[in-house]
Amino acid sequence: MLKIEKLTRRFGQNLAVNNANLQIPDGQMVGIIGRSGAGKSTLLRLLNRLIDPSEGQILFGDTDIAALKGRDLRAWRSDCAMIFQQFNLVGRLDVVTNVLTGRLYDVPAWRSMAQVFTPRERAFAIQALDRLGMAHTALQRAETLSGGQQQRVAIARALAQEPKILLADEPIASLDPMNAKIVMDALRDINKQDGITVICNLHTLDTARNYCDRIIGMQDGRIVFDGTPDLLTTRMAREIYGAEADEAFNEAATSTAIPATPAPVRVPA
Amino acid sequence: MSIASLSAVTEDQVAGLRASHPGAFDTPLRTLRRWAPLILAILYVIGSLWYFDFGRLLDASDRVLRLLRNFVVWQDMADWSYRQIYVGIAQTLAMAFLGTLLGTIGALGVGFLAARNVMPVMIVRQIVRRILDILRGIDSLVWGLVFVRAVGLGPLAGVLAIFVSDLGTLSKLYSEAIENIDRKQVEGVKATGASQLGVIRYGYIPQVLPVFISQSLYFLESNTRSATILGIVGAGGIGMIIIERFRAQLYDQVAFVVLNVLVLIFAIDWLSKRVRLWAIGEKHDP
Amino acid sequence: MTYANAADGVPGDAPRDAVSTYERHRAELRASKRLWNIVALLAFLVCLGLSVWISQFYPERLANGLPRIFEYFATILPDLQWNLLFEGRAEDGRAVPGSLTFWYTDFWTYVALIWETILMAITATLMGAGVAFVLSFPAAANLAPNSWVYWLSRRFLEICRGIPEILLALVFVFMIGIGPLAGVLAIAIHTAGALGKLFAEVNENASSRPIEGITAVGGTWAEKMAYGVVPQVAPNFFSYAMLRFEINVRASSIIGFVGAGGIGQELNRVISFYSDDRVMAVLILVVLTVTIIDLISERIRLGYIGRENFA
Repeated sequence: MLKIEKLTRRFGQNLAVNNANLQIPDGQMVGIIGRSGAGKSTLLRLLNRLIDPSEGQILFGDTDIAALKGRDLRAWRSDCAMIFQQFNLVGRLDVVTNVLTGRLYDVPAWRSMAQVFTPRERAFAIQALDRLGMAHTALQRAETLSGGQQQRVAIARALAQEPKILLADEPIASLDPMNAKIVMDALRDINKQDGITVICNLHTLDTARNYCDRIIGMQDGRIVFDGTPDLLTTRMAREIYGAEADEAFNEAATSTAIPATPAPVRVPA
Repeated sequence: MSIASLSAVTEDQVAGLRASHPGAFDTPLRTLRRWAPLILAILYVIGSLWYFDFGRLLDASDRVLRLLRNFVVWQDMADWSYRQIYVGIAQTLAMAFLGTLLGTIGALGVGFLAARNVMPVMIVRQIVRRILDILRGIDSLVWGLVFVRAVGLGPLAGVLAIFVSDLGTLSKLYSEAIENIDRKQVEGVKATGASQLGVIRYGYIPQVLPVFISQSLYFLESNTRSATILGIVGAGGIGMIIIERFRAQLYDQVAFVVLNVLVLIFAIDWLSKRVRLWAIGEKHDP
Repeated sequence: MTYANAADGVPGDAPRDAVSTYERHRAELRASKRLWNIVALLAFLVCLGLSVWISQFYPERLANGLPRIFEYFATILPDLQWNLLFEGRAEDGRAVPGSLTFWYTDFWTYVALIWETILMAITATLMGAGVAFVLSFPAAANLAPNSWVYWLSRRFLEICRGIPEILLALVFVFMIGIGPLAGVLAIAIHTAGALGKLFAEVNENASSRPIEGITAVGGTWAEKMAYGVVPQVAPNFFSYAMLRFEINVRASSIIGFVGAGGIGQELNRVISFYSDDRVMAVLILVVLTVTIIDLISERIRLGYIGRENFA
């Protein structure tokens, strides 16, 4: 159970996340929607502690995540894997080493500095890659892969962490519909089969409706909607998205819905 | 297939994956190959330091202490000849400034002669380039020695030394800048029926001038450094004073002068950065 | 066309308000720019005048001195005779004047010293690059774990870089005596400072995304550097270190002037005490060495960069 209480983050005068309260039971697949700048990304980064909260608590079980420091903080990050919009792989390292970086927390310092990983760790990394259908690229440099392939490697890296929670910050915003579907299917698969909680920022509404058990709507740093997809009315959604509503409802843009006729291949932004 | 935890990976699975993806696993040879450069470098450094008799550093502790103490404890400061010191610093600056200026003026002409796209005659270009190589290959300190033999002790020899070695380096950099320019702008000027000089003036100069200015300012900075040491061979500037004081074992004065030189170098560093920003409107690193 | 005319300062037929305002602003801008140009020109002229006066860079001194430069070069030219050029040593071990053997009597001494010079440059570059590598991470504004570590490592690198290596060599020669070790240490310290600054700048331009990725998996600061930064910057580091090696070969060829080893010691000796063809003999070897090292290093750099496909 992940519990957020009165979580607030300020950037100067600006309240990026304003007094957020949430309870997410284990094994849920949660989609966070909202227009750009609504605070979705800040909320996920607060959860992984890539940024520190200004006020409030994040509780996982009995641990106050917001107060963690040093090794405990790193332990939490390793439990709470993160997927990024721009994949954040190390482009000049090969794919399998990128996946192995998911093990860094558990590897003793001398081994990580010397890039020595045990055969078992390497086998585990290959398994993770294989699960995403990427094992054949294991020895390529990450930067030579396409956007969709890189995101699958990033998910394999997250799996290598053996996480309890998987955070995904706009995982499909830079991908074409085909790859977006592969990535979202993989996230759902991880959620359903392994029982890992998945919290996912999504820009498009239909993706959130299709994949998530629960949708959280954010507006100007506040949580304005929290419920199952069928409770999210069109009027509500229009309010959440404001001026960006047309773009978010446009099924063709960054959507996982593949039209019957083959869509033109979009160049990732 | 559900996610297995790391501990659930069996030896059989490891063996199977090793067979199917041999490249992803370490072998002793692969590990060795990865570490060989680093190990060789470390072994080389240790070996060469031993060859250069590194142990002497450890035997020198009493002299090190004496030197350090004298560097920090300054005595009889009223008697130091400050005038001489600051004249030396002024000479250093003057040498750097004049040397760089002359080098720049010279390189403006020679740079075009050595650029492939301006100087079509291969023989001329090659001869110019080889001469530049020689000028560059001899350090400004050596030029200093040579010019001291020719024009006598003093800053004039230093100016000439900086000029000659700058001429070599700046001309090469300038000619590279000229070779890297945008052809289209040059063709535009040629299309107006301009003469060869006109093409250089309106087609090349506007493109390469910012690079030239920023290169020369970098050189002003590094020449200030060179000018401080030219005095060691008698070519004027603060170096002469440093080495005299050093030989007379007046280490406190050496420390004072070196501090002054450091401040001077940092000041020129800062100033040339400002001038570069002002003159070409942007940071333009070579 | 009207706009182009206005831009050239020619007023249009019917000056509207916008045009006249534009013209006024433009005139003000030009006036202030002109003022600055005049100030800069004056400052430049003052500097020039002072420099000429201080360094006594007067035409008559030059006119007197320049011919002597050519005279000097004439004295160091070897007196070679075609018919004796490849004459070996006579039976009593003496070389025949006019032969190459006579000119390069001390050839093997020179070669040994040049070999020492190259070894010094390699050792100093490796040592300096090692220190620079370690310090470049705390000295990069975006990577430093905290501000005082950043400040300390920056200042340390600046001091290492600020002191000319010959001065350092002078101090080391005093402390540990004449020999190449003093030169190696001096060049290594200067290299650490110079490369450290360049490396830190490369680090500051590294993409933050891989670093964020390693942070998010729970990596330590050292792991972030090793996995997130080093792979990105390694080709640039390598190329800068090779360039520095070229510079260090030059430096170690003259650092012997203060007794810190290498061919410089011999060069200083022959220039200071003899005005004959030995000077030319050593100079030719030094220039050859430097040029060959430059060529090799350039090959290696381009080869590596080409393979790494780095822009």
